[in-house]
Amino acid sequence: MKRIRNALVSFAIHRSWTTILFILLAVIITGSFFPQVNIDTDPEHMLPENEKSRVFHNQAKKTFSLSEIVVVGVVNSKNPNGIFNPQTLQRIHTLASFAKNLNWEDPDKPGRRQGVIEVDMVAPSMVEHISQAGPGTISFDWLMPKAPQNQEEALAVREKIMANPMLAGRMASEDGKSLCLYLPLTDKHLSYRVYKALNEKIEAMTGDDQFHITGLPVAQDAIGVEMFTEMMVASPLAMCTIFFLLFYFFRKLSLTILPMIIATFSVIIAMGLMIGMDFDVHIMSSMIPVFLMSIAVVDSIHILSEFFDAYTPSKGREETVREVLGTLFMPMLYTSLTSAAGFFSLALTPIPPVQIFGVFVGFGIMVAWFLTIVFVPAYVMVLPKKAFTNFGFEAHTEHKNSIMDALLSATGRTAYRQAKPIIAGLLLLLTISIWGISQIQINDNPIKWFAMDHPIRKADTDLNTHFNGTHPAYLILDSIKTDTRSAKFRQDVSRRFITFAQQISSHAPNAPQLANKLLSELRKESSAGTLDQSFLDSAIAITDRIAEKASDADYYVYDELKSFFSLEQERLKPFKRPDVLQYLAKLQNTLESNGLVGKAYSAADVVSKINQEMLDGSPANYRVPDKLQSVGECYMQFQQGHRPHDLWHMVTPDFGHACVVVQLSSGDNKVMEAVERFVDDYFKTTPPPVPISHKWAGLTYINVAWQNQMVQGMLRSFIGSFGIVLFMTVFLFRSLKWGLLCMVPLTMTIAFIYGFIGIIGKDYDMPVAVLGVLTLGMSVDFAIHFVERCRSIHPHTGSWKKTVPQMFDAPARAISRNIMVIAIGFLPLLTSSLVPYKTTSLLLSSIMLLSGVLTLVGMPAIITLAEKHFFSGKQAIKTAQQ
Amino acid sequence: MSTTTMPLIKGEEENMNIKSFLLGLLAFIITLIAAVVIASTLLLIEISYASETSTELNGNEIVKRANHASLYQGTTCKGKVALKIVDSQGRIRNRSLNIIRKNQDDSDGEQLYLTYFKSPADVRKMVFLVHKTTKQGEDDSRWLYMPSLDLVKRIAAGDKRTSFAGSDFLYEDISGRNLCEDTHEFIGTEDGEYLVKNTPIDSSSVEFSHYVAHIDPKTFLPMLVEYYKNGDQLYRIMEVVEIKDINGGNGQTYPTVINSLVRNLETGSTTTMTYSDVVYDIPLKEELFGERYLRRPPREVMR
Repeated sequence: MKRIRNALVSFAIHRSWTTILFILLAVIITGSFFPQVNIDTDPEHMLPENEKSRVFHNQAKKTFSLSEIVVVGVVNSKNPNGIFNPQTLQRIHTLASFAKNLNWEDPDKPGRRQGVIEVDMVAPSMVEHISQAGPGTISFDWLMPKAPQNQEEALAVREKIMANPMLAGRMASEDGKSLCLYLPLTDKHLSYRVYKALNEKIEAMTGDDQFHITGLPVAQDAIGVEMFTEMMVASPLAMCTIFFLLFYFFRKLSLTILPMIIATFSVIIAMGLMIGMDFDVHIMSSMIPVFLMSIAVVDSIHILSEFFDAYTPSKGREETVREVLGTLFMPMLYTSLTSAAGFFSLALTPIPPVQIFGVFVGFGIMVAWFLTIVFVPAYVMVLPKKAFTNFGFEAHTEHKNSIMDALLSATGRTAYRQAKPIIAGLLLLLTISIWGISQIQINDNPIKWFAMDHPIRKADTDLNTHFNGTHPAYLILDSIKTDTRSAKFRQDVSRRFITFAQQISSHAPNAPQLANKLLSELRKESSAGTLDQSFLDSAIAITDRIAEKASDADYYVYDELKSFFSLEQERLKPFKRPDVLQYLAKLQNTLESNGLVGKAYSAADVVSKINQEMLDGSPANYRVPDKLQSVGECYMQFQQGHRPHDLWHMVTPDFGHACVVVQLSSGDNKVMEAVERFVDDYFKTTPPPVPISHKWAGLTYINVAWQNQMVQGMLRSFIGSFGIVLFMTVFLFRSLKWGLLCMVPLTMTIAFIYGFIGIIGKDYDMPVAVLGVLTLGMSVDFAIHFVERCRSIHPHTGSWKKTVPQMFDAPARAISRNIMVIAIGFLPLLTSSLVPYKTTSLLLSSIMLLSGVLTLVGMPAIITLAEKHFFSGKQAIKTAQQ
Repeated sequence: MSTTTMPLIKGEEENMNIKSFLLGLLAFIITLIAAVVIASTLLLIEISYASETSTELNGNEIVKRANHASLYQGTTCKGKVALKIVDSQGRIRNRSLNIIRKNQDDSDGEQLYLTYFKSPADVRKMVFLVHKTTKQGEDDSRWLYMPSLDLVKRIAAGDKRTSFAGSDFLYEDISGRNLCEDTHEFIGTEDGEYLVKNTPIDSSSVEFSHYVAHIDPKTFLPMLVEYYKNGDQLYRIMEVVEIKDINGGNGQTYPTVINSLVRNLETGSTTTMTYSDVVYDIPLKEELFGERYLRRPPREVMR
């Protein structure tokens, strides 16, 4: 190891320009990939392509032609009639007519259009209104074909919407103050184009209405835009802050710029390579600069701090560099390796964007390490000589009694003298934190990724105050096919067939006789083995064959008999059965009254609505009728309207599968999970009339699916990296106790941070989860440096008591500088309009502070209490450098 | 109608087929000669003058004849209809129904339609009755019989562009669109067919901005109708796949569309409509089209 180190450092010192040139070349090459950057904000991609719930989600989307939807919310709280006034409705009408034309010729598929799917739009002017038009008369008409001319007509529109449970609470809020237009897209990637066009149109409108354009595809686009802003503005801003802090510490522009160069180069190389390897930039990987910069800066601060302290003009730069690298090479390699290991362990999570993030941050850390080892000496060597005048700790001795130094030495003294109370206090805090961890709420909500004042978040808040639920999830129901070839099925059908024949014998006296003839014919064929189709198909075929030759009178009887078998075929389609639809209706009611769900609708509502209007229009008749034929007739009547295709978003044409649309009161994963549990329980305690399996689809559910994977995955990766880091520290110090000691600050930091999160009730979401791993890498960094220095100083002083003051000199200063740089450096991210960035910023600062304090207070306190254990025998003399 | 008489009828039909074939051949030769004579005459007259007269001849006239050919042939008509709806994912739904129709006059005016559902089995015996009118400002009268509820319901006018039995055909495709709702403009010929552009007078009442009908100059059947939105956006196509000559009651032959399809380009769904057992000019009493018969459809409709 020593040989490699010397070779690297010598090369960098003697061929400094070549080294710099090579590094610049690498930066230019990887940097050239940046223009190909591809932003990916699709939450679906949080799951691997072949992941079960993602595959199911996509299958369901195809089966029920479900599209991503842009929602235009219109709110009017000023008018006493809410949005139901002629002016607002006129604007809504205009906007709907405008929106339905927001589609264009598809350049890839000639003849096909892309953009808003007009036929699936939900708007007052474009949905069917089924109603009573006088006694015994039913009317199928557009709900609002023309904008109303006066207030009376506007209120009539309200009445029409509220009369349809599928629209009330979905298209217009029950309080009448807001209305949503739903614009399904052929492809979510078109949402930005649609959004822009709508925005322009809306801006040209006058009046006191508020318009919100929202929906998942819009939110995704917005995240993409914000991510770009963060990468282009917030990260450089953080960098500037770090730069000023460093300048404050080192007072030398040419040297303080060094950590910045190393951080920037590491980010460019790691991200450039990632983009060059064709990985999309996801919300996670957009944070690579932030993470990498903090870690890269930490490494070079160690070296700079050491260099600053060790430099004397008499020693000269070459010797100082060699000396500093001699001391720091191994600890830096190990801190980098441990931090990298922490991030590489993210590859164990089953979430592709997190895997990519982990691997490339890990890679970037190693790049930063390499640059520090090679670039720093080269850079120091090529600087003009005058850059070093007035540099170094010696030159700044007047600062010796600075506040920081006084504080540090006081900390050291306290840690030594008050070891017992400190440990007791820490144990108490640990206990509280463990309780706090048990209170953690695992939850995420992509809408809450936006800050409160972001238009998307405002839209969500505003619309949710009027609607009970705007976040769709799809409950997919799949029936299990009945075995129509079994003997039991045959016997059952045959028995009922005879009963049926007897029932119709009042107006067809020979029906039982003909029925028996048919059955014996069927039996003959089945025993002859020619019956290769299902029993019902054969029965129908045989009846047809016999009827064709029959007399007119017999033909009609046969026709009736045949209808029995055909009807049995329909009965085999579960979502035509009244009992199944009634079951669905009841499930929906229970869900709605439970409060978690604002609105649920399904094919049962289609049937109920038609049934109501076919009978007399009274609300009491909004129900699923009891006869199979009545349900069939309702379905057929619905299909005879303007929008028959609406049905196929709720049920498949074979009526074997159904989709219940559930609008959740919030996009919170915990709400989705609660609904999932509720439905599971419902199916268990109240089994459906026929065997039906249920599963969820929709992006709201996909979020839950990947969250679950993330929590387990993070735990796995955390345990994995904890093990790796422990192994490495044990190996580095050739000692289990010192290795374990290194794990103390990070374990406590993580416990405190998560305990705190649990206690204040902040949701455990993606950034919080990922930061656990970062903590691991950062804290262990401090601990390794601390232990390393302890063990190299101790042999010279011979006692722990004398070691402490020395520890709280240069080593502690380097650590504190790091803490301050990172803790303050990332505060500019608080200005971000994306909450994950804010969380990262705050947590990063607290993690740095905590792990620093724990390293500087906790570790010496522990060593003090167990001095004999740590410094005994020959081991104490050995340091990792040997 | 008993089974024993069937062969005799078939024989007659064959006989008549030969006769009508000869008749058709004769007509064809006469047309050919006439065409040659007209063509050579035209050559002698100024071309511009000639084309002007042919435009004059078309327009409303073509549409009027097309309307007759597709909706009014024979005084009565009966047939079995099979609808096969294939959605964008290739999933199939079938429906079968019987339709009877009776003209109320000889001037392509009022008509009576009765549709009797046979399958799917759960809507069997459902009946749809239409008293069609062509009087301006008046709407058709429509009734629906729901057998499971034993309920007759009148359907309020609204517009006629609702789906026919859940297929891609619209109610208006079956019973016809009133000629006076559109302007008809002859815009040329293509592959020997007349092209007529039809533009609605009240554009707010329908979803299309215009439709172009390709009309066969011989049968005057619209072979292809293309519906456009927003000026040039084709979104719906109705196409004739097969025509069959069917004999009417008084020695007349009616070219009849027995297979046609509608493609909905917006939903990706396609419906094929097949007519079978089509008979013209059979006696159908007017009472059959009354409300009373909805509940107990006559046997001539059912078989």
